[in-house]
Amino acid sequence: MSTPLAGTSEPVISVRNLFVRAKKKVLINDLSLDFGSASLTAVIGPSGCGKTTFVRTLNRMVEMTPDLMVKGQVLYLGQDIYAPKVNPVMVRRRIGMVFQRPTVFPTSIFENAAFGLRLVHEEEGKIDAAVTAGLVQAGLWDEVKDDLDRPALSLSGGQQQRLCIARVLAVQPKVLLMDEPCSALDPAAVQRVEATMNFLKREYVIILVTHNVGQAARVSDRIAVLSAGRLVEQGATAEVLERPREKFTEQFITGRIETQAEATV
Amino acid sequence: MAAPTVGIGDAGSTDILYDRSVRTRWRLGFDKWIGWLLPLLFAVALIPIFDLVYYISSQALPTMTWGEFTTTSPYGNGLLVPIIGTFEVMALATSIAVVLGLFGGIATAEFLPERTAGAIRMTANMLVGLPSVILGYTGYFLFCIHFGWGLSYIAGSMTMAFFMTPYIFRIVDLAFSSIPSHIREAAYGAGARPSQYVTKVGTPIAFPQVLNGVFLAMAIGVGETAPIVLTTTESVILPNTIFDPVTFLTGLIWTNYSEGGTLLDLAFQAAFIVLIVVIALNIIVRIISARYQKRLEGLYQ
Repeated sequence: MSTPLAGTSEPVISVRNLFVRAKKKVLINDLSLDFGSASLTAVIGPSGCGKTTFVRTLNRMVEMTPDLMVKGQVLYLGQDIYAPKVNPVMVRRRIGMVFQRPTVFPTSIFENAAFGLRLVHEEEGKIDAAVTAGLVQAGLWDEVKDDLDRPALSLSGGQQQRLCIARVLAVQPKVLLMDEPCSALDPAAVQRVEATMNFLKREYVIILVTHNVGQAARVSDRIAVLSAGRLVEQGATAEVLERPREKFTEQFITGRIETQAEATV
Repeated sequence: MAAPTVGIGDAGSTDILYDRSVRTRWRLGFDKWIGWLLPLLFAVALIPIFDLVYYISSQALPTMTWGEFTTTSPYGNGLLVPIIGTFEVMALATSIAVVLGLFGGIATAEFLPERTAGAIRMTANMLVGLPSVILGYTGYFLFCIHFGWGLSYIAGSMTMAFFMTPYIFRIVDLAFSSIPSHIREAAYGAGARPSQYVTKVGTPIAFPQVLNGVFLAMAIGVGETAPIVLTTTESVILPNTIFDPVTFLTGLIWTNYSEGGTLLDLAFQAAFIVLIVVIALNIIVRIISARYQKRLEGLYQ
């Protein structure tokens, strides 16, 4: 059973009866969830609840972890991304991902932002404009416009993370997956990245994994709460945080549940 | 009441900061002396190496003249032919070994299933541990006899290439495998194909280490004797075709060391040159390693 989020039209990503199994554990257990267009959904839950695994299934990044079995459907604009003829590379170009650790490549700022464009063999003449656009969208342009040839590794952690966002935006994805993008950053950097998220959610479908309820409250339109690989509840951010329907949600957002052992078969 | 004790389970002594018992003093002293003793023992272990360098130099240098490097006949006190011959063999062998090692290493590190990769790694480790005389013999039977190439430049170079390949393979495999997974994921998350990850992200990061592996394999290969003396034979001239024999420096040492007079002098001179080349290649490896560490500091934080 798929439960569309109230107030959204055609879902961009629709997850149906998703299971993820490790050798002896069930990491995601019968999860169904829809993500509408141009909105930011925060996936929250205690650590070990499977939220990172869940978001990694949405662009087949989960396949990079050995010994995980994925069952069920993830529909992107109605197409199952796990269908046999679908190439994971093409999935990842439509559904980009930003990770917990800011990971820039050991080249210049410009080359990092242009990385995706060179992957899709964009014409040389269009790269300059696209790099600028990506850096503007990621909220980094004003800080780096004067020295784009500087090594990217010389940037601060927060700047590196926004450069990673720019790099992913360069291949023009529709969906942006963010796996705890702020957990390795200091508070000032977190603020800048959150501002970027607030700007980007007008154009992209953003799915943000966070363990920080405050962050979910600040940037998300909708919240999905996970527990032991299952969807506990979902809805508009204010509603879930102020009037949680489930006792688990209430306990989690008030800080009474910290971690959770992974569910076993 | 006694003064507060420091440390758990040490309630008997009043204060271990002021412990002056023989046992404690001996232990502290041991730690101090071991810091001197170990480097000293290491220096003792180095004596044979310095002795070797000194002995070879003292035997080779007095008889060495500029003429040796311009005379072509090895039987007439010439080193030019074996030096160029060594260079030619190493050039062909390195080219083949780099191609095989590079493709094999990248495939094993990035593309092959874990089980296959493990089997290949085990084979490579076994090849590295294999006595080179066995490899030389295999090369002799395969290239010289079975392929009918005879004792030739091509047979020697191919055998040398197969000798060097596992060394290069292992370092390429290691260089690519040790790139942190978050860098791999970042590339794939931005939409890279596996081959694009290898060329645009992996190669720039792994390159210095790969280069290192190539020089290391060359240093090991140029000092190796068995794969060469079994697959090619000495010649007074350079090979005109790839099926002609070629003289390798270590091959020259092998055939001349039991002789006397000028032939023995020539063997020492050849040994001196091999020694210099091996030391130079190892210094190059050290320099590349040092630069490599500096360049990637930010990456492996």
